[in-house]
Amino acid sequence: MSQLSHYATHRESQHHRYISDRRRTTEASARTERNRYANKRPVKRKIHFSLLNIGKGLDVPFCMLIVLLLAIGITMMFSASYPIAFYEIGDSYYYLKRQLIFAIVGIAIMLAVSYFDYHHFHRFSALILGVSYFALVVVLLIPSQTGIHRWIGIGDYGIQASEISKFAIILFLAHWGSKYYDRMDTVKYGVLPGAAVFASTAFLLLLEPHYSCIVIVALLTVVMLFVSGIEIKWIGVAAVILAIAVLILWATGLLSYAMDRMDGWGKALEYVDETQWQQTWQTRNSLYAIGSGGMFGLGLGQSRQKYLYLPEPQNDFVFAIVCEELGLIGAVAILLVFALLVWRGIVISLRAKDRFGKLLGIGLTSQIGIQVILNILVITDWLPNTGISLPFFSYGGSSLLMLLFQMGIVLSISRSANIEKI
Amino acid sequence: MGANQRLRQRTVWLLIIVLVVGFGAVISRLAYLQLVAGEDLQQKAVEQQLSDTTIRAKRGTIYDRNGQILAQSASVWQVVLSPANFKTDEQREFVATELAEILKLDKAEVLEQTKQDSYYVVVKRKVESEEQKKILELMNQIEEKYEIASVIALLDDYKRYYPYGELAASVIGFTGSDDQGLSGVENEYDEYLTGTPGRLITATNANGTAMPFDYSQNVEAVDGNSLVLTLDETIQSIVERHMKQGIEDYDVYNRGVGIAMDVNTGEILAMATVDGYDPNDPFTINKDDRKKIKEIDKEYLYENGYLKENENPTNKELEELLATARSEAESAALSKMWRNKAISDTYYPGSVFKMVSLSMALEEGTVTADTAFTCSGVFELYDKKIGCHLSSGHGTQNYTQALCNSCNPAFIQIGQSVGEEKFWEYYQSFGFSEKTGIDLPGESDDIFFTEDGSMGPVDLAVASFGQNFSITPIQMITAASAIANGGDLVQPHVVKQILGTDGSVVQNISTDTKRQVISEEVAKEMRNILEQNAIGGTGKNGYVAGYRIAGKTGTSEKLSDSNGDNVQDYIASYCGFAPADNPEIALLVFFDTPLSGNYYGSAVAAPVFANIMGEVLPYLEVDAQYTEEEAANVDTTTGTYTGLSVSEASKLVNADGFEVTIKGEGTKVVSQVPAAGSNIPTGGTVVLYTDENSVTEKVTVPNLVGYSLYDVNYLASYYGINISITGAVNSSDSLSTAQSIAEGTQVSAGTVVTVTFSSSSVND
Repeated sequence: MSQLSHYATHRESQHHRYISDRRRTTEASARTERNRYANKRPVKRKIHFSLLNIGKGLDVPFCMLIVLLLAIGITMMFSASYPIAFYEIGDSYYYLKRQLIFAIVGIAIMLAVSYFDYHHFHRFSALILGVSYFALVVVLLIPSQTGIHRWIGIGDYGIQASEISKFAIILFLAHWGSKYYDRMDTVKYGVLPGAAVFASTAFLLLLEPHYSCIVIVALLTVVMLFVSGIEIKWIGVAAVILAIAVLILWATGLLSYAMDRMDGWGKALEYVDETQWQQTWQTRNSLYAIGSGGMFGLGLGQSRQKYLYLPEPQNDFVFAIVCEELGLIGAVAILLVFALLVWRGIVISLRAKDRFGKLLGIGLTSQIGIQVILNILVITDWLPNTGISLPFFSYGGSSLLMLLFQMGIVLSISRSANIEKI
Repeated sequence: MGANQRLRQRTVWLLIIVLVVGFGAVISRLAYLQLVAGEDLQQKAVEQQLSDTTIRAKRGTIYDRNGQILAQSASVWQVVLSPANFKTDEQREFVATELAEILKLDKAEVLEQTKQDSYYVVVKRKVESEEQKKILELMNQIEEKYEIASVIALLDDYKRYYPYGELAASVIGFTGSDDQGLSGVENEYDEYLTGTPGRLITATNANGTAMPFDYSQNVEAVDGNSLVLTLDETIQSIVERHMKQGIEDYDVYNRGVGIAMDVNTGEILAMATVDGYDPNDPFTINKDDRKKIKEIDKEYLYENGYLKENENPTNKELEELLATARSEAESAALSKMWRNKAISDTYYPGSVFKMVSLSMALEEGTVTADTAFTCSGVFELYDKKIGCHLSSGHGTQNYTQALCNSCNPAFIQIGQSVGEEKFWEYYQSFGFSEKTGIDLPGESDDIFFTEDGSMGPVDLAVASFGQNFSITPIQMITAASAIANGGDLVQPHVVKQILGTDGSVVQNISTDTKRQVISEEVAKEMRNILEQNAIGGTGKNGYVAGYRIAGKTGTSEKLSDSNGDNVQDYIASYCGFAPADNPEIALLVFFDTPLSGNYYGSAVAAPVFANIMGEVLPYLEVDAQYTEEEAANVDTTTGTYTGLSVSEASKLVNADGFEVTIKGEGTKVVSQVPAAGSNIPTGGTVVLYTDENSVTEKVTVPNLVGYSLYDVNYLASYYGINISITGAVNSSDSLSTAQSIAEGTQVSAGTVVTVTFSSSSVND
């Protein structure tokens, strides 16, 4: 009880100071935050749930953007998937039904998480990182027919171990960055821990192998460390190291899986040989779909490429069908919604009262932006086809749940910031 | 810089990088793909989305000149499975069982097809309407029984039928599995017959089934043109029937050729290569060849150069070599079977060519009616001795006698009078140095002594009686037609008209006269000489009573020993035309390697020529003009005598010019032999039966071969049969050479037996 009152008074004074003197506030809050964790005082704060205050403190624009993207995403995923669902499964609504269920469950989770005080993740960050390592190791032990180990199954459903990793890394680096914020410009606190976490995760992902996830994790690490304030030269150093590492992997043939896809990269439209032609089938048909859309698209539901030409149109390549049906206008509109989401997410994050919230929000929001960009670069053949899904659009229960869970955290950040404001 | 400000600043940078650089790159890439490259990409997408199904055009019909159908395409179906639509193994089992039964296929194989993951598996092609109906029933059954998308489809297809089978097969040709013409007219006129396939363009998914949106464009198929051939089915049948008989009678090893041509228009009325093949089933080799191929053994490999003398292959090598040898022998047998000898074979024309040699000399005026040619049986040229077929020699002859005697020494002199240069000139002008250009595939070139026509004196000597250079039968009959029609070399052709799908005439193929090769007068003189030859010369076995036949025999030596019996092979031929005063039809009969002992054109080809002409000329309604002597043997048609009283009938029979024999005790005629409408010589016997019991009375056909006409007549009346006579009966040395009903056959009294006569004294 004393702890709670202490926290409340502390927050109140902090808030007061923030209003009166912004610059001083930030420095002071950094200090107090450090002190708080040094004292291992748990942070607690509660908003009581009631139907009337469901939106209380919730960032409405961000929430609306999520719902909007989810609505468009599911609609387009359904449009893209019904032919393949009909031909391959015999039920046009197969993917829609599942995705809808996951979306509803996901929204519920998101709202639930938005009530959850995100500060609790401070404590769990190391634990969750540990869990992510554990998952990455476990996944390697599960026999796989394809030689690619990515999924941990629970019954019929499964989750990609890497989904946990992405979250774990953002969380851990947010935790670390906020804890040692003013020492982030040192090698010991700023560079090494981040590099170690990334390197270990990347190593395990390499064994799966899951190259695209390594790229995402790398970018997330860079974003987190950059925002946390490490010296920029280290990012250059990392880039050089990465280049050398890739070169070594290339030479040792460990890239053999991705090599196949690398070979056809950027050459989807030209016929080199039969193998290349087959390998680039998906990318080529993605380009055909995008090109067919033109400025205004063929109209909703009117895609032709989804009729078994474009394999798995419900997954990574769903946006190609979006481009075909809605044209450049539709695609850009959707990208603007994504951009708004990212912008709003960043705004929310920056409004967070503590650095942990800021960093966590920035990381989670960036992840969406990064995935959108990488996904579209893949479907337009500017990046090799390695499997990066499009948030809110691509079919997949576990990743949607994970995504909405993460959005829940951002909402939780908005909620706490807004409530404290009042 | 404050710590929070740094975070803020860096976040703004991050936002700029993600939104401006990242999203900017993405949007510009999309704009490029959708706006700049869009058209091209869409084009490619559309190309793969549109399935272009070819709708087959119906192949045109081939008619003979009278509208008889020689080749026709009929609708059949292709049975196609979409096994990917099957849901259970039970369904597969059911469909496979039913299909295998309807289509008479191996069930295991069909079952295998039902298990493929595909939407298009061809089960059977060219399925006919009976089976198609059963399959439609099966499709209904499947629909009722299982609720699955259609697994069987019936696609339109066409099949080619040749109603007359072997008839004119080498001219008509045949088609392959894709309806493409592979030989004969089918091949030569393929582009006309094929038509233009239609296209059904539909939007399809990657599996080739239709997409649900409405896009389909139908370009109707345009059926192929039909052809009217110059062939006359009746004449063709007559030619083939007699050629077949000749091949059998004279044991001909390498098949025979009969060509009938309209001398004025160049229209081929009949062109037969006998034995031929059945174009309905063109890939089946005849029994003898099949047997030979089966019998190919190790020895054959050594003999035919598959193995060298001291080679000893392993078993595996031997197996492979045998398989190779067999497949090569099979293709050789097939191409031999399909070969149109009339245009593809070259041969020494032999004495038939003398009509050309003499034409040259008459046209050039190097011989006249007064020119005398002596023959001592052998002609000495430098150190070479060239013999005549009559070793005792023909003595002194004028050119008419020389041709009627088919005297080689005389023709050497005629050739010499023309000279090498002129000989080559006429050789060219008669069309021997070039292909005739007949509208059939596979015509061969001639083989002359040299390319430029230069020849030595010995060459000229033998060439003047048709030896040591090779031409095709079609070239020979084209040249003979020029002599017949007054000197015009006409273009031989087999297609008369090209018809549109509605039956309208698209193109008439008219007579193409290449040039006049000899004058009208010379042609007339030649016709006269050749007619005399057919009446009383070496060509008399080709004579047909009542008709003015002109013709020339030929017996040519072959270069190769085709049957491997180490005996010189010959080609027996006869080429002529009728009526001699105003020729309409030319006929060339040609037997390659007769083995029955007599290989002379006069003995082998001439009687067949006569038999064919004897039937064809009446068919062409050429008026018969009999000599008094012939009139006795002229056939008359019997009337209908049944149903009449015996006395009435007898009167009528007598009035028709026949003797009457009455059998039985009745008062009314119940049946007659020969039947009404039969042709028997005037004065023959008509047997009238007056009760049922008498009808069963049979007589035995005696041997009628080897007798004079007088004897044959006697035998016929003695045995109670009637005879019909063909061949050379005019000359005193004519003997019967064949009878249409074999000796010892039991026949009704009065039955007509056709007896062929020929002169045995001419060997040419």
